[in-house]
Amino acid sequence: MSVTSPDFMLETRGAQRSLDAFVVAATFDRHGGTAAFGGSDGSVWLLDMADRAEWRNVMTHDGSVLALSPDCLPGGFLSGGDDGKLCRIGTQHTCLASFGSKWVEQVVSFADAKQRIFAVGVGKAVQIHAENGAVLKRLEHPSTVTGVVFDARGKRIAASHYGGASLWFVASKTDNPRKLEWKGSHTGIAIDPAGENVVTSMQENSLHGWRLADNQHMRMSGYPGKTQAMSFTRNGKWLATSGAESVVLWPFFGGGPMGKAPTELAGGDTAMCSFVACHPKHDAVAAGFSDGLVVLADIATSRIVPVAAPGRGAISAMAWSPDGAYLAFGSETGFAAVVDFTARA
Amino acid sequence: MSDTLVPVTVLTGYLGAGKTTLLNRILSENHGRKYAVIINEFGELGVDNDLVVDTDEEVFEMNNGCICCTVRGDLIRIVGALMKRRTKFDGIIIETTGLANPAPVAQTFFVDDDIRAKTRLDAIVTVVDAKHLPRRLLDSHEAEDQIAFADVIVLNKTDLVNAGELAAVEAQIRRINKFAKIHHAQKSNVPIAELLDQGAFDLARVLAHTPDFLTDDEHEHSDEIASMSFEVTAPIDPEKFNAWIGGLLAQKGQDLLRTKGILSYKGDDRRFAFQAVHMIADGDFIGPWKADDPRVSRLVFIGRNLNRPQLRRGFEGCAA
Repeated sequence: MSVTSPDFMLETRGAQRSLDAFVVAATFDRHGGTAAFGGSDGSVWLLDMADRAEWRNVMTHDGSVLALSPDCLPGGFLSGGDDGKLCRIGTQHTCLASFGSKWVEQVVSFADAKQRIFAVGVGKAVQIHAENGAVLKRLEHPSTVTGVVFDARGKRIAASHYGGASLWFVASKTDNPRKLEWKGSHTGIAIDPAGENVVTSMQENSLHGWRLADNQHMRMSGYPGKTQAMSFTRNGKWLATSGAESVVLWPFFGGGPMGKAPTELAGGDTAMCSFVACHPKHDAVAAGFSDGLVVLADIATSRIVPVAAPGRGAISAMAWSPDGAYLAFGSETGFAAVVDFTARA
Repeated sequence: MSDTLVPVTVLTGYLGAGKTTLLNRILSENHGRKYAVIINEFGELGVDNDLVVDTDEEVFEMNNGCICCTVRGDLIRIVGALMKRRTKFDGIIIETTGLANPAPVAQTFFVDDDIRAKTRLDAIVTVVDAKHLPRRLLDSHEAEDQIAFADVIVLNKTDLVNAGELAAVEAQIRRINKFAKIHHAQKSNVPIAELLDQGAFDLARVLAHTPDFLTDDEHEHSDEIASMSFEVTAPIDPEKFNAWIGGLLAQKGQDLLRTKGILSYKGDDRRFAFQAVHMIADGDFIGPWKADDPRVSRLVFIGRNLNRPQLRRGFEGCAA
């Protein structure tokens, strides 16, 4: 084994395991103490970052996990499943709500010094909940909600659906969304860290964006496949996306992305980029590919560090710990791993 | 290749025709296979099955400049999620609402790349009520469309009509769709093996048993749906065929509900299967021609305003 082996990072600084189910989601709790993986068999696997030795299996859903998020409370997680249940995973795990035969497809949370809330997407509705699980409000949309995201300050929440996206004020007394309209089926959503741009992924292998200040539309197209994952860099300058043979990064500065060509990183292979996650502290993006390759790409220098070699299934989930010390990723064939990126003396 | 794709059966039928009864039979009968079921009216299904998904039909237009290209957005999402636990079931059954036009469901399986890569539309099964169908056909376009789209038709409630009425209703179905397999049933009692895993798009079998009685003089210029089939014995030139069928679908796609065929391309030992729903077309090589099979290219059209001489001349013009 040499430093040049594409598995060097995984073998020397990683913890790995086969979960025997499609890894639907990966995330860390708010403090980064625990990594969590959600599987298509309804289980959530937890790995403590202190020793990275013991994997704990928590069966939460009778069916598949559809969404997994850090809890707004420290140390825990929230999961949604196709059994219609919303679960809280902490020192024990509890069912917070049941939506019958409707799938809980999105779960997101927000926490700062002033508020701790979370939201779920179920059918055409987004429900905002207080930290104790109580429903604060229910926001209805014209069609099924396909993506939900809080802005970086937790003031607004945006949902994608057919015909565009809806942007709501979380604390507003009168619930009228700002409607961001664009014809077609929108399948996922992102907001930049400054809260100035909303971007959706679309059925037709393209992205659509709205600059909120002046309602400027942004069209970002040319993808050979659908974009499953979008991630803004920490300063909002770049939007990294999956759906092409490379990591496609759109510039959100200097007048872009309108009229600008995107930057492409880690391309050259025939495998498609299937997942991306921007580093929370540096201008770098982790990318997973359909052949199982995982890399870390430095945006300024285009330098690529291999993290895991191809061969363990298409990468289907990926997340950084909040401090950027650990990268978690999982694949369609059930491979799950956490790699340590902390500096070593 | 097709063995690794999950077969999808679409179950259509007018309200009260017996769709839910049929679905209950499929789910409760002991046939050793497991189906994921996507339905619209959850309460009606009396069977406990952890793979039943409740959805609202969401018909979306595609932004591809094709006016009749509509898909079911909810199916793209749900089938995509189901495929993440592919090992838990053998097939998928999609029940549509009584008033549904089958086109968006069928088109979903042609248009979405992810779904195409993992599933195959096995058959469209339409349940009709022998007693009430004649009246339905008078007052509803959807009832007619559902028959036109079908690969398999369950002619249900035959106990409620006499032999003459039954023959009349069957003739009425045949006028719309000559090519579907028809099963007579009471309380939807059709052997499950006749409905699922039909490989209806392995058209050779279907087309082999479709005598075409119509002659060229018959020239359908009406709003009524009709079906026609054509044969060419000379090998087909793929480029000529693509140019002709592409132009035809672009021009008449709205009238052409379904087009399907098996083609013998010049210089190729494999059968080429072609199918289209309105303007959306798809084609792929399937198994080789058998040694003793006549290498005849067959094409079937089901739709409105079909011009037999024109279609025949067009197809014959594709000979290499």
